[in-house]
Amino acid sequence: MKIFKKVGLGLLTLAVAASWAFAPGAQAAKNTVTYAMYGDVKDWDPSIAFSLEVMMLANVYEPLLWYNPPGSETQFTPALATSWSVSDDGLAWTFKLREGVKFHDGEPFNAAAAKASIERTRAMKKGAYYIWAAVDRIEAPDEHTLVIRTKEPTPIDLIASSQYGAYIFSPKAAEKGTEWFNQGNAAGTGPYKVRQWAKGQQVVLEKNPDFWGGWTDKNFDRVILRIVTENATQVQMLKSGEADFISLVPADAVATLDKEEGISAYAIPSWKNSQFLINTQKPPTDNKKFRQALTHLWDYEAVVRDIYAGHAEVARGAIPATMWGHNDKISPQKFNIEAARKLLADSGVPQKDWKITMAYIGASEEYKNSALLFQEKARQVGVEVELLPGEWGTIWSNAKKLETAPNLQSMTWWPTYPTPNDWLIGLFRTEEKALFNLSHYANPAYDKLVDDATSLEGSDRAAAIAKYAKAQQILVDDAVAIFYADIKTRIARRSNIEGLQVNPAYNAVFFYRVNRVQ
Amino acid sequence: MTRYVAQRLAMMVGILFGVLTVTFALSRVIPSSPVETMLGHRPSPEQIEAARQMLGLDRPLYEQFILFLGDAVRGDFGISLRTGQPVTEDIFDRMTATFELTTLAVILVILIGIPLGVLSAVRRNTMLDHSARGLSIAGVALPVFLIGMLLQMAFYGGLGWLPLQGRIGAEILLDYPFERVTGLYIVDTALAGQWTAFGSALNHLALPVLTLSIACLAIITRVTRNMMVEVLGEDYIRTARAYGLPQRVVYFRYALKATLIPMLTVIGLTYGFLLGGSVIVEFVFDWPGLGGYVVGAITKNDFPAVMGVTLFLATMYLTINLIIDLAYYLVDPRLRAS
Repeated sequence: MKIFKKVGLGLLTLAVAASWAFAPGAQAAKNTVTYAMYGDVKDWDPSIAFSLEVMMLANVYEPLLWYNPPGSETQFTPALATSWSVSDDGLAWTFKLREGVKFHDGEPFNAAAAKASIERTRAMKKGAYYIWAAVDRIEAPDEHTLVIRTKEPTPIDLIASSQYGAYIFSPKAAEKGTEWFNQGNAAGTGPYKVRQWAKGQQVVLEKNPDFWGGWTDKNFDRVILRIVTENATQVQMLKSGEADFISLVPADAVATLDKEEGISAYAIPSWKNSQFLINTQKPPTDNKKFRQALTHLWDYEAVVRDIYAGHAEVARGAIPATMWGHNDKISPQKFNIEAARKLLADSGVPQKDWKITMAYIGASEEYKNSALLFQEKARQVGVEVELLPGEWGTIWSNAKKLETAPNLQSMTWWPTYPTPNDWLIGLFRTEEKALFNLSHYANPAYDKLVDDATSLEGSDRAAAIAKYAKAQQILVDDAVAIFYADIKTRIARRSNIEGLQVNPAYNAVFFYRVNRVQ
Repeated sequence: MTRYVAQRLAMMVGILFGVLTVTFALSRVIPSSPVETMLGHRPSPEQIEAARQMLGLDRPLYEQFILFLGDAVRGDFGISLRTGQPVTEDIFDRMTATFELTTLAVILVILIGIPLGVLSAVRRNTMLDHSARGLSIAGVALPVFLIGMLLQMAFYGGLGWLPLQGRIGAEILLDYPFERVTGLYIVDTALAGQWTAFGSALNHLALPVLTLSIACLAIITRVTRNMMVEVLGEDYIRTARAYGLPQRVVYFRYALKATLIPMLTVIGLTYGFLLGGSVIVEFVFDWPGLGGYVVGAITKNDFPAVMGVTLFLATMYLTINLIIDLAYYLVDPRLRAS
């Protein structure tokens, strides 16, 4: 019998013992940084990628320009373009390109490569290709000059700094096609090359010794993007120091994590905001006073404080407060039951019709709890709210068609490239067939205002901002949405990482610009 | 015998066809929007239409089904909407990870569970029996994710002996390359003579295998014990004892043999279940196996992947059952005689 006890115990300890028996020997010391990603890279093709991939893209590829975080002295940092200018009519953008730069596959970077990259992205009609919609043609008059001509005045500088769809890649790589990219290949000019992709496990980037920006001893040699799907696991890895950054930071964990030795956790403004779009064509919300009443039934402070655990600000209109062009004269919508009661009575909608539907992504705790709170407040004034939680694809399909659309529709939005018109046009400009204008809002005066502003963006930004400001006020006056939260990004990292500047324009960490304090 | 196998194989084809039909019907009936899932966060109407055509969603349902069947027979399940890779390739990649994990867990369970069951039966109602029962009940009663997380906290957070997640150390995978011959890391690293990588793979297996084993230990231990108790009361055991045979021989040569048939059934079912059912363990330990894949596929309405995995798992399960049935012939002389 003893023998079995021994077998049992032996097996249990064997696993543990193996850790010493085969412990890795001393390795060449690499300066490595580890980021815990919650999902794998899907689209490796820089013309297509439109999601989590930005963490890889922004380190492996470069656009012509990088957009600087709000509060910087200048709006852009030169990347592959060293200087740029726009013609007086605002229709021709000339970029002087950086010389002596090579792609990771050894091909030279030049105007032809930049032209080919942008043209390929446009032609593929996938991902964020639409940012280039206004482009008429692209010219490469010499090796290091790129001219982009547009059909109407367009802010090509902003578009060229987009976090998706604006990366420049090797023409040789493009020839090999999307399938080649999707095997985990890349050929950019950025500081890191893709060294390894172990599907479902990790992406490893290694320094590109030829990077034009040069290298110091402090830079990280290696970046490990490790896939860790569960937030408790990510937190443990951060605590042990195995991960330097984590991507899933639960709202209620920020304060506790920040108290841990060696960890810094905080929340900073992003360009993501959340709203409930109000259907302007479907009764009873086709009535403006009725819509205004609804905006008073939302308990803005409580939602931000209790449901978003303070990691959001009460929104003031459609544009996040840290985005350029935000109208800071707009006062936040106010929670006021009495005002709502009065507006409801004045609306002329008979009380028997005070019934609305509210659709949102069911998997989101924030939406769910906010909707429940709203439902209760509305009940107090006699408005019946039917909740319709669902999966995004389904609720979106329903919301696009007026017959199946709800009265209130959840929407979290962020810009592809840094411009207020991403919201003002994407969400609220008249659409013949609704795509994202799920308020089904149609206002010719508003449309003209945002169209004019857009064409001024490239040439006279101050004038554009003035028009955008008016447009934002119209949206609030017409009560086309309950604008309720500017979301903050939650960061949790090892405290010895220095140089991290979070930029709302890119959902990425620029590993080249951070280092570890010894 | 040959006829029996042929019959069973024919039945398998029938069952698989049924499985395919039901999953296909379900995936089309449930309100969902696979196209939107595939296209990411801001698709244009043209992109949506193009994707619908590419997936054949604009065709009538029966046509879609025939196309699907044709491809499925050729082992082609299309491209996963979520990963963008061919489903067959995804399944192969991930199956080997699951296979490595569950096979080791089943071996561990057999090595511990059977002796423990025998001991409990022999020393019925002693401390040993009670503690074995307590242990098994705890294994069943505690949710698997809790066992996994407790082990993580103890061996990673507390002691720092074992890794937290993944299949192999991040930099080891990079610095100690090995060829994927079988897809099983402990085999491939050994074949390549990369002992550092082998050690890392083994380390990473320890906690998930242990978690999975604890969760499955109870059933094997209890079945062994109950069968043994029954068998130990039989006349031939008393006779064997009367002959003065050593206890070890009586228990393991004579008594245990009689429990093999139900044991095989239980082990087979457990194994089959684990192949698709180690979802939670794979999730807790970021094990890049089929479990995690299928959960992701279901939540994102990735129907090509769901169909592929369902068919694959059904085939595996049926095959294991067939093997077990055939094994009855090997262990039971009475069946061979008939």
